[in-house]
Amino acid sequence: MTNFAPILSALRRHRLATALIAMEIALACAVLCNACFLIAEQLRLLHITSGVDESSLAVISLDCDGCKGADLNARVTAALRAVPGVESVAVVNAVPFAQPAGYAGISLDREHFIAVPHFYAGGPGSVETLGLQRVSGRAFQADDFQIAENWLPLNTSVWITRAFAERLWPGQDPLGKEFWSDKYHFRVVGVMAHLTPPDPGGGHGDSGGEWSVFVPVIPGESLHGVYAVRASPAALSRVLRDARDVVQKAAPEAVLDLQQSRTVPELRADFYRQTRVMVGMLAGVIVALLLVTALGIVGLASFWVQQRRKQIGIRRAMGATRGDILHYFQAENFLIVSAGIGIGMVMTFALNLVLMKFYEVPRLPAYYLPLGALVLWGLGQLSVLAPALRAASVPPVVATRSV
Amino acid sequence: MRYNLTLAWHGLKRYPRSTVLAVITVAMGVAATMTTLALLHQLTADPLPGRSGHLYLAWVDTVRAKPQQSQSLNDITVQNYHRIKWDDAQALLHDHRAIWQAPMASVFTEIRGEGDQAKKHRNYVLATTSEFMPMFGVALRSGRGWTAAEDQTHAPVAVIDSEMAQTLYGTADAVGRELRLGHGVFRVIGVSAPFSLQPHFYDLAAFSFGDQRRDQVFAPVSALLDAGVDLAGSDACDEDGPKKTTLFETDAAHCSSLSYWVSLPDSKAASDFHDYLQHYVQNQQALAGYGKTSRAELTGVGAWLSRQNVVPDNVRLNAWLAGSFLLLCMANVAGLLAARFLRRGAEIGIRRALGAPRAAIFQQHVFEAVLICLLGGVLALPLTLFGPWTLRLQDSGFTDLAHLDPAMFAALFALALAVGVITGWLPAWRASRVEPGLQVKSA
Repeated sequence: MTNFAPILSALRRHRLATALIAMEIALACAVLCNACFLIAEQLRLLHITSGVDESSLAVISLDCDGCKGADLNARVTAALRAVPGVESVAVVNAVPFAQPAGYAGISLDREHFIAVPHFYAGGPGSVETLGLQRVSGRAFQADDFQIAENWLPLNTSVWITRAFAERLWPGQDPLGKEFWSDKYHFRVVGVMAHLTPPDPGGGHGDSGGEWSVFVPVIPGESLHGVYAVRASPAALSRVLRDARDVVQKAAPEAVLDLQQSRTVPELRADFYRQTRVMVGMLAGVIVALLLVTALGIVGLASFWVQQRRKQIGIRRAMGATRGDILHYFQAENFLIVSAGIGIGMVMTFALNLVLMKFYEVPRLPAYYLPLGALVLWGLGQLSVLAPALRAASVPPVVATRSV
Repeated sequence: MRYNLTLAWHGLKRYPRSTVLAVITVAMGVAATMTTLALLHQLTADPLPGRSGHLYLAWVDTVRAKPQQSQSLNDITVQNYHRIKWDDAQALLHDHRAIWQAPMASVFTEIRGEGDQAKKHRNYVLATTSEFMPMFGVALRSGRGWTAAEDQTHAPVAVIDSEMAQTLYGTADAVGRELRLGHGVFRVIGVSAPFSLQPHFYDLAAFSFGDQRRDQVFAPVSALLDAGVDLAGSDACDEDGPKKTTLFETDAAHCSSLSYWVSLPDSKAASDFHDYLQHYVQNQQALAGYGKTSRAELTGVGAWLSRQNVVPDNVRLNAWLAGSFLLLCMANVAGLLAARFLRRGAEIGIRRALGAPRAAIFQQHVFEAVLICLLGGVLALPLTLFGPWTLRLQDSGFTDLAHLDPAMFAALFALALAVGVITGWLPAWRASRVEPGLQVKSA
C-alpha cells in the first residue's frame, strides 16, 4: 500500500498547479455528466417508436383551396391505387413526422382541461394502411366511421395510446371511458401500443410523449388532401415517385406539397435533423473535453517527472523499486483526480440545476455521478501511465550527478 | 517591457512540448466557444438595424368572449395573444396616432400569374396596409407601393419581390402584370427586392428563421379579404360571431388575426400611445358583460423576441456547454503554466536578486501566457471556420445563418487575449512571489 503522506507533502509544494488541475477535473466532471445526460435525452427522442409501419409508408399531401373534398379523395385514391406496387391507400389527416393536423385540449368533465393530445383522423382502411397495433379493445366497424361536423364527428368511438390512457385514467381500464373536446364527445373502444404525435417532443404534452387519439371519420369536406400510401419497403421510393406523378395528373387543380409528400423514413430523418446536429455537437464537446483533460494530466505529470528526476534518482538509490516510483505517480494522480471529482460532484449538480431552470432539461439521474467519476479516474490513470513509466525508468545513478 | 516580451518569447521556446500542448488546448476551447457564439450572435442580431428601436407591437383585447373560454383548441394560452381584429385595426388606422402603423398577417396561399392556365405556386403573401413598406423599409426595385386611399377603396394591387416576378413572369419587370390571389385578380404595381428579416419577427406565428421562406407578395388586407383569402390563424374569436363552416377558417372581422405594428419616435410617444390603447379598450361598449379586465399592451421588438423565445433552446444550451469547456481549458492551461513558471524558480530568484521588481516578473509571465493564448487564437481561427461549415453541411433551417463576420473575428482575438490574461494572472502572480535569496542558495 502506497503511503500518501509524502505525496501530500510534495503536492503541498505545488499547491497552485495541483489546485488548478483538480479544478479542471471538477469542470470536466460537471460538463461530462451533463453533456452525456443531454445526449442520452436526445437519443431517447431519436429512437421514439412512432406506432406506424414506417418502412412501408409514404405520404401524399395536396393543398387545394376550394376543392370538393369527396371528389378530390375519390380521384386521388383511385389514381394512387392504380400505381403498381401500392398495397393500400387511406385518407388520413396526418402521419407521424409530417405536418401536425390538430392538437386540441380535452376534458373529462366538460369543464377542466386536462391534456392536449393530437387528434388523428382516418378513413376506412387507415388502421391497416398505417399499421396501427391495437393491444386491447375492439377493431373499428363500418358504422364507427361517421361524417365530420366541421372538425370531427360529434360522437365517436376512438382509440387512444397506452401512454395517454395512463395519463387520463392512471391504473384503470380505459375501455368504455369518455372525454370531451369542446362539443365533441369521444368514447374509448381501443388502446394502441404506440402512436406519436406528428411532431413528437414539439412542446405538446410531455416531451416525446405519445398523447394521441385516433378517430374514425368518413373522408370528405373536413378530411381530404393527405393520403397514406402503403407499399413494400423495397418498392417504396419508386412508388412515391410514381404516386407524385399520377396525383398531379389526377388532380391538376391541387398543388402537390413536395416538402410533405415523402416516404415516412425520409420525413423522420428530416424531422430529427436538428436533434442529430445537437447530438453531434455534444459528442464533439465530450471528445474534446476528454482529450484536453488527458493532455493536461500528461503535461503536468511530465513536467513534474522532469523536475523530480534527481529526487527519483535518490529514492531509487536508497532502495525504492521501479514499482514504488510508478505507484507514487499513480497514487498522486489518483489523489488529485479524487479531489477534482469531489468538487465536480457539486458542480455537476449546480450545472444541472442551471440547465433545469432555464431550459427544459430533466433532473440528472444520480448514477451519472459514479459513472463519470469512474471515467475520470480511468482517464487519469491512463494519461499518467506514460510519464510515470518514464519516471520509473530514471536510473539511480542520477542521484550522484549534480544538476 | 520589450525586454519582458523577449523573455516571454524565450520562455515559450524553452519548453516547446508543453507550449504546443497549451496552444492546442486554448485553440480548442476558444474555437468551441466562438462557434456557438457565432451562431447565437446571428440568431440574436437586430433583425432591422436602425428601425427596430422604434417599432412596437400594439395589442388590445377586444374579443367578445369570457376570459376563461378564450382557451382555443390549439393550445395557445392567453399570455400568447398578440393579434387584433380587423375592425379594431381599421379604427386604429383611422385615428393614426403613430408615425407609421400597419396591421399584418403572413398568409401561405396560392399565387398564380396571368391566364387561366397559369401554374399555381404556394408561398407567403403579406396582408397589410400601405404604411408597412416605409415602416419596415422594403426597398422597391421598380414601380410604387400602394396608398392609404387604395387601402380604403379595396384596390386590388400588389407588390411582389423580384424572385416571385421571375418565377411568375420570367422577368423582373413585372409592373402592370396580373396576379391571381384567392378568387381575385390583382395588378402588380411594384417590384421589391427580396425582403427577408431574420427572424421574421413581425409575424412569428407564420415562421421564424430561414432564407427560403419569406413574404414574396405584399397586398392590401382589404382587397385580399374581398378576394376570399383566409388570414389563416387567430388568437381568439368573438362568441357572437357567425357560425364557421370549417374549423380552420378565420373570420377577420370576429377573430383577432392581425399583428399591429407601429413606429414611434421615442419613449414618451410610446407611453402616450399605450395610454391611447388603454383608453381605446376602455371605450369598447360591446365588451361589457364579458367580465374582462381591459387589457392593452405595447411591446418593443427586443422584449417581443425574448418573450416569444425565438432562439432555439439548444443553441443557448450549447453556448453554455462550450463556455464551461473553455473554462476547463483555461484551468488546464493555468495548471501547466503554474508548473512551468515555478520550475524557473531559480532563474526568477536570480532576476529578483539582481534588482528586477516583482512587477517586471509578473509582466514577463503574463506576457508569456498571453502569447500562448494568442497563438491558440490563431489556431482557433480555422477551427472556428470549420465549425459553422459542418453545421451548414447538416443544413437545418437556421444553421444556414451561421457564418462569421469581421466583428466576430475581432471578438475571437479579444476572447483569446482575455483568456490569456485571466489564465496567466494567478501563475504569474505566484511566480512574482518567489523570494530572491532562497532560490539563489539552492541552485
